[in-house]
Amino acid sequence: MRPLRSMVNFIMIATLLAAIGTVARADSVQYLQSADNPTTEDFVRESMPPGFSVEATELEGPVFADSRSRTLYRWHLQSLRNGDTGDRRDGASACNGHIYRESSGLMSPYPAGLLLPELDKRLSCADVWPPVIATANSVPVGKWTIIKRENSSRQWAYDGYPLYTSILDRQRGDVFGGTRRREKSDAPAVREPVGPSPNIPPGFRVNTVASGRLLVGHEGYSIYFRDGDDSDRSNCDQACTRNWEPVLAPETAQAQGEWSIFERSPGIKQWAFRKKPLYTHTADQKFGSLVGSDVPGWHNVYTQRAPIPPEAFTVQDTRSGHVLADARGMTIYIYNCGDDALDQLACDHPDTTQVYRFAICGGGDPARCLRTWPPVLAPKDAKSESRSWSVMDIDPKTGHRAVPGQTDALRVWAFRDRPVYNFAGDRKPGDIAGDAWGEFYGNRNGFKAFWLRDDFRNNDE
Amino acid sequence: MKRDLTVKIGRSVIGPRVLLVAAMSIAICGAGGAAAKDAAAGGLKDRTIGYVLTNKYWAIHQTPGAKTECPMGFNDGPREQFKLLFPDNGEKRTLLKTQLARESEVWFPTTSKEPYPFYEVTGGISIGMNLDGKVDDNDFTSPDGVEGIDNQLYRAIGCIANYRGPDGTLYHFTNKYYQQHNYNRVLIELTGVDSLTSDSDVTVTTYRGLDGLLADATGSDFMPGGSQRVDMRWGEEFIQKFNGKIVDGIVTTEAADLVLPQTAAFQDTTIQTIRGLRFQLKLTPDGAEGLMAGYTDVGGFYYQLNAAWSTHLQSYGQLSSPSLYRALHRLADGYPDPETGANTAISSALDVKFTQVFILHPSQEVAAKVRRQSNVALVQ
Repeated sequence: MRPLRSMVNFIMIATLLAAIGTVARADSVQYLQSADNPTTEDFVRESMPPGFSVEATELEGPVFADSRSRTLYRWHLQSLRNGDTGDRRDGASACNGHIYRESSGLMSPYPAGLLLPELDKRLSCADVWPPVIATANSVPVGKWTIIKRENSSRQWAYDGYPLYTSILDRQRGDVFGGTRRREKSDAPAVREPVGPSPNIPPGFRVNTVASGRLLVGHEGYSIYFRDGDDSDRSNCDQACTRNWEPVLAPETAQAQGEWSIFERSPGIKQWAFRKKPLYTHTADQKFGSLVGSDVPGWHNVYTQRAPIPPEAFTVQDTRSGHVLADARGMTIYIYNCGDDALDQLACDHPDTTQVYRFAICGGGDPARCLRTWPPVLAPKDAKSESRSWSVMDIDPKTGHRAVPGQTDALRVWAFRDRPVYNFAGDRKPGDIAGDAWGEFYGNRNGFKAFWLRDDFRNNDE
Repeated sequence: MKRDLTVKIGRSVIGPRVLLVAAMSIAICGAGGAAAKDAAAGGLKDRTIGYVLTNKYWAIHQTPGAKTECPMGFNDGPREQFKLLFPDNGEKRTLLKTQLARESEVWFPTTSKEPYPFYEVTGGISIGMNLDGKVDDNDFTSPDGVEGIDNQLYRAIGCIANYRGPDGTLYHFTNKYYQQHNYNRVLIELTGVDSLTSDSDVTVTTYRGLDGLLADATGSDFMPGGSQRVDMRWGEEFIQKFNGKIVDGIVTTEAADLVLPQTAAFQDTTIQTIRGLRFQLKLTPDGAEGLMAGYTDVGGFYYQLNAAWSTHLQSYGQLSSPSLYRALHRLADGYPDPETGANTAISSALDVKFTQVFILHPSQEVAAKVRRQSNVALVQ
């Protein structure tokens, strides 16, 4: 009897694994949004000074933009290992025209006072993050205030934080300067785009994750909807509610925009978003979980999903969740870098110094870098359907953008305007042998796998 | 701003839903449920008993003041080596030739001659097991007199303060994070068990579990009788079967390769691969305690160390990973590379402690979800 039961268990497990594998690969775009999908996140309208606008972005939802449609960013005070840097709320701007020459020592164990690389090309914080200047006639509106800079010019601030644009952004809706995703441990003091509040009722939040703008409840647990529900009726019965808890609306709640309320049973109201009744998954153990979407017919709720990656890219199973992978199934990695000057300038872009990357991807040797961390090559005729994914030509010797017509240039895929990489140590699809490679787990000068889903964290890395 | 809903109990940090599960288990016990009866009977049901790993340390034999094993003291770490290389003499140095050169060395280490003093363990006593069945000059003798103990990892790391208990940062935090993060949840299931004191043929199967540990009121110990769902979604590489036997209440197994999940502060998703690993555990109805010993993959050990512990954290306990890399390769004593002949693994042992749990395989998962839901309603 026992051997038979063991065999039945084995077959069940094998079947489950086979089914899971099929889902992971066959439905590889489940997280993302095609380029022709017009869904964007609604936001709360508020008074703005003349010239400013709200722009839709692919990765960060709606953001504020200046009169030239450039995304606005803030640099809030952040704690590093040995001190803080950034702008204090309601304080002055710490991002000025000074060109820092030495490391600050904010990140131990290395001492302060080390001469920074390529000083002849180094820019000031204000060069890289031009402050949003208010004219002499500008007047504060609502959360929009004006602060005085060191040079007596006037700078716009929002919610108490000085505003900047990024020299990396070139078009309306670009957010290449920073992200609202959760700050990673020991990462540089980064800038984040500033935008209006999402138009959601109290009790909900929207988190920026790799797969898009994920709707969660006030505690942080993911919100789901199911196929087969009507806009004004839930078909999740008593047995169903053991695993799926309806998101109830308070008696005083009001429908607004894409949000509606229906009476689930006499006196019991349930929220619906875009005509889909909402639930939480009782088995979710982590905030921002995507686990419930494994159940057929159930889906996480996004206000908008991230754009689909280049054609032929795949999604692979790992020991922890799903990673984005190239056409061969090999894991895609993102390079992160911020220097240790007081202004914490980024060094993760091909237009910035490549000294940090070469040190960590090849021991200082660009050729070794190419062997160990090769950029993901794009076909000659490759095109991207989105702004977030692009094709760029890279000089293999310098790591910078190639000059036009350069014959040995590498045509590579880029995400957020930065090349993406494979790791030579990965042997087969789903390997993540290079994840967390580099200083401070790959968060400060190193590589992280392109995680779409991680069931053991909060999907926000 | 995210709200942290975790509750700190002693050394254990437990999420709200895990607390609910804990409360559920207490409720079941109070109600005299099936789990409580099984626990009273020692957790052995259908000739099967499960345990969850709660404590795991590299086995390091420590004498008072480390006088026997580290007579020259402890090794230098990144800060000390940096000062030796770059003395504070007013010279202006570049970040490229100092910090970045050092970090390059972390990620591209070499087996060249060690340029700094490096103290290996001396003395002849070590915790561990005789992995190769031989007694030779490099072997240790166990504290209770067993000869031929293979534990060259101890020789490499025994004089690095970071690895020594109870204050070494890695010693303390590796175990703390093992308890804290479900990614690290290691289960063993003994099947075909007629008796916990004597059985000539049992099977030990490892899995990754999905659930938090059931901490007691101190937060530092864990209660038997909890449940753990098996991770069949992502945890396939952690499943391994070992043939074993139980003699005088101690289960010993034959050798097999094992992959252990091993994340630290959870910036990484790393593993520890141990070749030819075997278990030697004293079994009780409530738990199991003893050794897991085998040949740790050197490359994997080194990568895991650096992906999980930044140079900053390694500095807390004077751990220079490039120096340790050289020591690991010098002392590696197993699994030679077929092409180069160089050993790729190093003999090692883990001090481990398990607590009894009921292991829920996927076919029982639905039932577990139902119980959790009932508990949610009860608590509300």
